[in-house]
Amino acid sequence: MVKIKMDRSIQKNGLVNLTVALVIFLAGFALTAFAGSAAGQAASVFLGLGVLVTFISWFQMRLEENERLEKLELDELARSRGASLFEAKDAGSFPARNAREQFEKYFVPGFAVLLLLLEASGAWALWYWSGKNPAILKDASATAAGYTLAAGLLFLFGRFSVTMARIENHRLLRPGASFLLAGAYVCLFTALGIAGVKFKYPDADLWMARGLCALLGLMAVENLLTLLLEIYRPRIKGKVARPLYESRIAGLLAQPESLFTTAAQTLDYQFGFKVSETWFFQACKQNLPVLLLVQFAVLLLSTTVFFVDAGEQAVLEHYGKNAGVYGPGAHWKLPWPADQIYRFRTEQIQSFAIGYTPDAQSEAANIVLWTVPHNEENFLVGNRATARVADTGTNDVSAKPVGLITASIPVQFQITNITDWVYRNATPYELLTNLATAQVVHYFAGSDLNDVLSHGRLEAASALRDQIQAAANERQLGVKIVFVGLQDIHPPTGSDVAKTYENVVGAGQTRLAKILTAEAEAIRTNVMAGAQAFSITNVADANRVRVVTAAYARAALFTNQIPAYAAAPSVYRQRLYLQNFAAATKGARKYVLLVTNTQDVIIFDLEDKIRTDLENLTVTNSP
Amino acid sequence: MKKNVITFIVAGVLLVIFVLLLFTYQVRQSEVVVVSTFLKPTDTQTEPGLKFKLPWPIQSINRFDQRVQTFEDKVSEPYLADQSILLLSVYVGWRISDAKAFFPKFPGGSVLDAQNKLENMLRSAKQAVVGRHNMSDFVNSDPTQVKFNEIEKEIKSAVDAELAQNNYGISIEFLGIKRIGLPESVTQSVFDRMKAERTKYITEAQSDGEAQSAKLKSAADRQAADLVADATADAMRIQGAGEAEAAKMLGVFQQNPGLAVFNLELEAMKSSMGQKTTLIFDETKPPFDIFRALPADNTSK
Repeated sequence: MVKIKMDRSIQKNGLVNLTVALVIFLAGFALTAFAGSAAGQAASVFLGLGVLVTFISWFQMRLEENERLEKLELDELARSRGASLFEAKDAGSFPARNAREQFEKYFVPGFAVLLLLLEASGAWALWYWSGKNPAILKDASATAAGYTLAAGLLFLFGRFSVTMARIENHRLLRPGASFLLAGAYVCLFTALGIAGVKFKYPDADLWMARGLCALLGLMAVENLLTLLLEIYRPRIKGKVARPLYESRIAGLLAQPESLFTTAAQTLDYQFGFKVSETWFFQACKQNLPVLLLVQFAVLLLSTTVFFVDAGEQAVLEHYGKNAGVYGPGAHWKLPWPADQIYRFRTEQIQSFAIGYTPDAQSEAANIVLWTVPHNEENFLVGNRATARVADTGTNDVSAKPVGLITASIPVQFQITNITDWVYRNATPYELLTNLATAQVVHYFAGSDLNDVLSHGRLEAASALRDQIQAAANERQLGVKIVFVGLQDIHPPTGSDVAKTYENVVGAGQTRLAKILTAEAEAIRTNVMAGAQAFSITNVADANRVRVVTAAYARAALFTNQIPAYAAAPSVYRQRLYLQNFAAATKGARKYVLLVTNTQDVIIFDLEDKIRTDLENLTVTNSP
Repeated sequence: MKKNVITFIVAGVLLVIFVLLLFTYQVRQSEVVVVSTFLKPTDTQTEPGLKFKLPWPIQSINRFDQRVQTFEDKVSEPYLADQSILLLSVYVGWRISDAKAFFPKFPGGSVLDAQNKLENMLRSAKQAVVGRHNMSDFVNSDPTQVKFNEIEKEIKSAVDAELAQNNYGISIEFLGIKRIGLPESVTQSVFDRMKAERTKYITEAQSDGEAQSAKLKSAADRQAADLVADATADAMRIQGAGEAEAAKMLGVFQQNPGLAVFNLELEAMKSSMGQKTTLIFDETKPPFDIFRALPADNTSK
C-alpha cells in the first residue's frame, strides 16, 4: 500500500514538474517575443525541450504504474483462484507490461532521435539567427527580472525533484528534474546577458545566446553518442535501463558538484562494471583540488612565453602600456593578465579591392569580359569629348560633361609601423579602405574618360599609388602601399555601354578591312589593265607583221603567176578558179539542179532541224 | 591536514584574484577610462598602466577607445547649385577628445549612439555645403577645377561649428568625400549618351572605310582605263604602220590588174565559204556544166 502511494507521489511530482516547465516555457517565450533577446530565444528552446522531456518521463511513469497495478491485480487473483489459471506468459495476458515494453522499445528511441534533431537544428538555427540579426532589447530591466524570477522558480522545483529522484524507483523523475534545475541556470545566464546589455556590454546577450547554442549542440552530440553506445551496452538481467532521453549534461549542469558521481555512473553504466572503484578513478577524485591547482599553475606559466611567427610582429602590453614590438622567435613575458600580446602579420602583403564586391561565381570564371558584369562599381569621370558639345545651360544632368567607368582596383599594402597601425586608429584597415576609395573617386572625378581608358592608365596607377600613400602617411597609418592596379577598368557593363565600346573597335577593324579590300581590288584592276594593254599592243604588232608579211608573200606569188597567166590566160584562169572552188566548197552542202523542164518549181527546205532535247521540254505553269 | 593546506592555498589564490579584480584595473594605451564614484564621473585616466580603484559599487570604470574612429555616412542625394543631382557619401575620422564630457552625453557612452548623432549633423552640413556647388566642382576633365578639398573643408567646418556649440567631447580629425554617383535614372541617361557617342565613332569609322574604299576603286578604274586607252592607241598606230608597209607592195599587182582582181575574188570566195554553207547550182555553172555533156541516163533523174 505504501508503495502504491509512493508511485502515485512520483506521478504527482512528474505532473507538477510538467506544469512548472510548461508555464515557465510559455512565460519565457512571451518575454523573449516582447524583449527580442537572442539569449532568451535560446533559453526558450532549452525550456521547450525540457517540457517535452518532462512530459515523456511523466508518461513513462504512468505506464510503469499501470504495469505495477496490473501485476498486483494478477497476484491477488492468483492467490484467490489458484496459480494454474495465470501460468500463461503470453503477451496478451499482461497488456500494461506489454504497453510499457513497446513504449521503451520503439517510442523512447524514436523520441531520443527527435530530441537529437531538435537540439541540433535548434543550435544551428539560433546560432545563424543570432549572427544575422543584432538584438535590440526592449525594457531590458523588466526582462532580466522576469528571467531571474523564472530561474528562482525552476531552481526551487528542480532542486526538490532532484532530491526526490534519489529515492529508489524514482529514477524517472531525474530527466525532468535535471532539465528544470538546468533551466534555472539557463534562465539566470539569460538574465545576466540581458543585464549585460543594460550595463553597456552590447554583445553580452549575443554571447550568452551563443553559449546556449553551444550547450544545445553539446547536448545533441551527447544524445547521438548515447544512441550509438546504447547498441553496445551490455544487457544485464534485472538492471534497469536508463531513459535514452535523459541528458547527463543537463544533470551535470543541474548538479555540478556531482561531476564525479555522474562520470562514475556513466562509466559504470556503459562498461557494465564498477569503473568508479578503480584506484585511478579514486585517486583522481581525492586529489581533484591539487590537480586543478597544478593545472591552473601550468596554464598561468604557459602564458609567460610567446612565439612570434615568421612574417609577424607582436606588440607587448605591460598592464595595458606598450612595452615594445617583438619580431619572430620565442620571447618571455609576465603571465596573463599583467602582460598581453597582440600579433599582426606585418610582412604579409595584404590587399583589398576598391569598387569590387566579392562574388563566388564571377571569381570562379576564367575569363573576365567587359560585357559580362562581375560585381564592379561605376565611378564618375570627366568627359572632354562631351564637354565640347554639352549645353551647359540646360538643366538636364545627362548633358553635363560626365561619364562613367567601371573599375575594380586592387590595392596591396604592408604594415611598416605596427605601433601606428595599432594605436592611432580604432579601425585602421577600414580607414585605409576609405582613404583609398576617396583618392580613387577624387582622381577619376578630375580625369578624362578616354584618357583613363587608354594612355592614361599607367600614369593613373602610379598617381593613385602616390596619392593613397600620401593620404595614409597623413593619417599616420603605418603602411606602405605596394601596388595599385588599374587592370580591371573599363566602360560600364550596364545597358550594353561596354559593348558599344567594343563595337567601335570592331568598326575600326571593318574600316581597315574595307580599305584593304579596295586596295586589293585596285591592285587587281591595275594589273589586269596593264595586261590588257600589253595584249592589245602585242596583238596589233602581230597583225602588223602578218599584214606586211602577207603583202610581201602575195606580191611574190603574183609575180610568179604572171608568166603562167601570160602563157594560157583562159586555162590558167579556169584552173585557178576550179582549184579554189573545190577547196572553198569542200565543206559546203551543194545542190546541183539538172533540169530540162524549166517550168517546174523546185522548193528547198533549208531550215535547220529543231534540236531533239527541245522537243521534250516540259513547260510548267508558275503559281 | 594535507587536504586542508591545499584547500587553503586554493582559497587564498582565489581570494587574491578576487581582491585584485575588485581593487585594480588596467588602462590600455588605446583607451581612456572614466572613473565614476557613486556613478558620478570623478576622474579620467588617459595614461596606460595598472591603476587602483575602490571596489564596486563605490567606484566603477567606463572604458572608451581614444583612437580615431572612422565611419561612413549614408549616401544622400543633394541638389546642386546648377540644379543637378548627385549621390554623395563622406567618411569621417573622429575621436573622443573629452571622455568626461562624452560619457554623460550619450547613453552609457555608446560610440554607436555618438556616431548616429554625428551623422545627423554631418548630413545637414553636407546638404548645405554641396548645394552651393556645381556639378563641375565635383566632376571635371580638368583636375584643377575639381574642388573636393574645398568642399570637404567646408563640410568639416560646418560640423565643427555645430560640435562647438555643445561640448560633445568629440573632435573631428578628418573628413573626406568617399563616393559620388548619379541616381539610377540619370545613370541610364549617361549610359545612353555614352552609347550615342560611341555610335558616332562607329558610323564615322564605317563611313570613312566605305569612302576610302570607293576612292581607291575609282582611282584604280581610272588608271586601268588610261592604260587600256594608251594601249589601244598604240595598237592603232602599229596597225597603221603595218598597213603602210603592206601598201608598198600594191605596185606589183599593177602589172596585171585583171589577174590581181581575179585572185582577190578567189580569196574572197574562200573566205566567205563556211561549214554550213548551202550552194545551189544548175548545170550551167562550171564545173557542174560537165553534167550537160553526159549522155541521158535513166538513173539520174
